[in-house]
Amino acid sequence: MNFTRLSIMMAPLVVAGLGACGGDRPPPKSLVDARNELATAKNGIAAQLDPTDVHEADLALQKAERAWSNAPDEPNTLDLAVIAQRKAQIAEAEAAVLKAQQDAATAKRDLQVVMSSQLQSARGQLDQTKQALNKTQDQLQAEQRTADEQRKKLADLEAKLKDARDTIAKIAAVKDDDRGMVITLQGEVLFPTGKWELKAGAMAKLDQIADALRGKEQPMVVYGFTDNVGTHDNNMELSQKRATSVRDYLASKGIPQDLITAQGKGPDVPISDNNSVEGRAANRRVEIVVQPKKS
Amino acid sequence: MRIPLIAALSIFAVACGGSIPPPNDEWSAAQADVGRAESGGAPAVPDAKLHLQLAQEDLQKSKALMNNQENERAASLVALARAEAQLALSLARATQAQGDAQQAQQDLQKAKGN
Repeated sequence: MNFTRLSIMMAPLVVAGLGACGGDRPPPKSLVDARNELATAKNGIAAQLDPTDVHEADLALQKAERAWSNAPDEPNTLDLAVIAQRKAQIAEAEAAVLKAQQDAATAKRDLQVVMSSQLQSARGQLDQTKQALNKTQDQLQAEQRTADEQRKKLADLEAKLKDARDTIAKIAAVKDDDRGMVITLQGEVLFPTGKWELKAGAMAKLDQIADALRGKEQPMVVYGFTDNVGTHDNNMELSQKRATSVRDYLASKGIPQDLITAQGKGPDVPISDNNSVEGRAANRRVEIVVQPKKS
Repeated sequence: MRIPLIAALSIFAVACGGSIPPPNDEWSAAQADVGRAESGGAPAVPDAKLHLQLAQEDLQKSKALMNNQENERAASLVALARAEAQLALSLARATQAQGDAQQAQQDLQKAKGN
């Protein structure tokens, strides 16, 4: 005879016992508490989250109920009721543990999502900053290249100018003043007395000067000067015409016209004493002023 | 009629109590449950601490009963001590888990606020 079969056979006896013993008396407080606690566990989250402990509490309560029915005065009966209550409380506490663990896991998962999103956003910003930095670096390099090229060009020009100066210095007086590089040619060398047509020898010299200055792209002014012999007006006119002759000749030799102007100064700016022959000869002159290039 | 009945029941109880062996294994298991509750943080959680104390008291009482050969009563108290100790541990675990969950929630809110 197995246990199940025995239980079925004993059942009527147990029911009879329930009626006989505990049935008429109010149950002890501990048993009422256990019933209430189990009901709470069954109706709360414990039923879903911790059914095993709820089942154990249920079994414990059944045991306590049987004890109360069979032997209500036994001290052990009260223990069983308290044990049933504790089991129900354990089921609730363990369910609370599981619920809290689930909540914590959810919060941690959400935290990871938030942090991942923030990280991605930060990476995006970093990429943008990097791109901007690369662009700035490219621009800087381009500017650097341009600056280098300009420096090189300027150095080339300066070198060419120095070459030109050296060349010119062999055929004319060259000096620097605040106007720029000043090439001084004596009047006798360029023009017959009182005339403004260039001598053949003058053209040869001006050819060399034009060769040296060609391509420099620097503005030039040709000044004509006379001594103080004759009327002021005549001297002004003569000096203007001589300056113009030189300007035109240089222009005909490839110096851009818009870079070169002519101006007669007459006797007004002597560089030597007009009372001596040598002084007057020095004052009769043409100056070609090569102005610094405006960058 | 009542006195002979009580006397008869008492004789029966003593006879039964004496016939069952002392619950040594269960007592050790209960002691282990108390140890787990203690190391599981029960002394730091007021509710859990209360049930831990009840478990310890029941254990002491059951020991005294075992010494008096009242083994059935002792076994009942040992079972109760186990339930109290296990509840103490569960309550401590719940408090800790709830604290962890609260902390995780605060961390989340802080991250969202930034």
